[in-house]
Amino acid sequence: MTDEDLVGRAVVGDSDAYATLVERYYGSCARIARRMLRDDADAQDVVQSTFLRAQRALAQFDRGRVFRVWLFAILVNQCRTASTSRRRRERRFSDDDMALRSAADGRPAGAIDESHVVAAAVDSLEPLLREAFVLKYVEELEYSEMAVITGAGVSALKMRVKRACEALRPKLEAIYHE
Amino acid sequence: MSDSADDSERPFVRAAAALRGAPADHSAEIFALQQRIRAESQTHALGVVELSTRRPLARHPWWLGIAAAVVAFAIGIGVGRGSDRTARAGNSAANGQNDRAIAFAFVAPGAHNVSLVGDFNGWDAHATPLERADGRTTWSVAVRLPPGRHVYAFVIDGVTWMADPQGPLAPEQWFGQRNSVIVIPEDRRS
Repeated sequence: MTDEDLVGRAVVGDSDAYATLVERYYGSCARIARRMLRDDADAQDVVQSTFLRAQRALAQFDRGRVFRVWLFAILVNQCRTASTSRRRRERRFSDDDMALRSAADGRPAGAIDESHVVAAAVDSLEPLLREAFVLKYVEELEYSEMAVITGAGVSALKMRVKRACEALRPKLEAIYHE
Repeated sequence: MSDSADDSERPFVRAAAALRGAPADHSAEIFALQQRIRAESQTHALGVVELSTRRPLARHPWWLGIAAAVVAFAIGIGVGRGSDRTARAGNSAANGQNDRAIAFAFVAPGAHNVSLVGDFNGWDAHATPLERADGRTTWSVAVRLPPGRHVYAFVIDGVTWMADPQGPLAPEQWFGQRNSVIVIPEDRRS
């Protein structure tokens, strides 16, 4: 069943249809929130509140829109709000974070798998660059969709992705020995 | 991603693939969230049970005569007298004397229009439109049906076909779609 079909049913109160949408997009939302917030617990809270907010707002959902993009827009706003509210208590991750994580895991840095190393590199980006990189490369969205989600213009988003890539390139080349 | 991954992009594409990597197990979180969503929906639905006369009629057929009379009274009509608002939906073979007035209600907060389709109106989505019963989210219509078994569904905004969430499903499937069923007994008084 397509998203459009499920949304049509969810809008008129079919909770099973909405539960299917939750299952379909929970993973993507968790991935985006985790990268934007850099904290698993905060990410989980935001994803849950995003789906509940979206359900309550379904009556206002414009059927001409793409559900996934609409949902991600709510998610990104939730992430930004959560990030702002916790900024004072947030501990800044540094380049040493990877070592700290490996110490916590009881594993030497060399034993950390690729996804952990790459995640640490992406996490070191400025928030807006990180957001743009994740939406473009990890979630493989078009710039037009990213513009709807973030509220930024396509040109600005292209610039953010470019800057993110420039910042990441030396770290990734070191990881991949390219 | 539509852009081709040339050599300069390769590390980013590879990094993105690593981040997508083995999908994390969110099954427990998803299950908890789905339970909460269903619970909130149930709470919402409870507010409309009394507006929907279909539910007691379907599950307790002996209520039919009383409930039908109440519905007919509430909308200002008399059963068997004919009405502008209560259309007879049975087939032409019956004389209509045993028809019963049945109210169908459906909660559709985001809908622009809702219609009733069934074997009694040729599954015509234009034949039996519902009206907003409370001016907001609950749609309803009263139809006169002959005794017997009737299969029906609701069509929302002309495109979304849904069984009655308050009523039993008919066992048969049409193109993979389950519909609802209502059984109207013969009137023992006649």
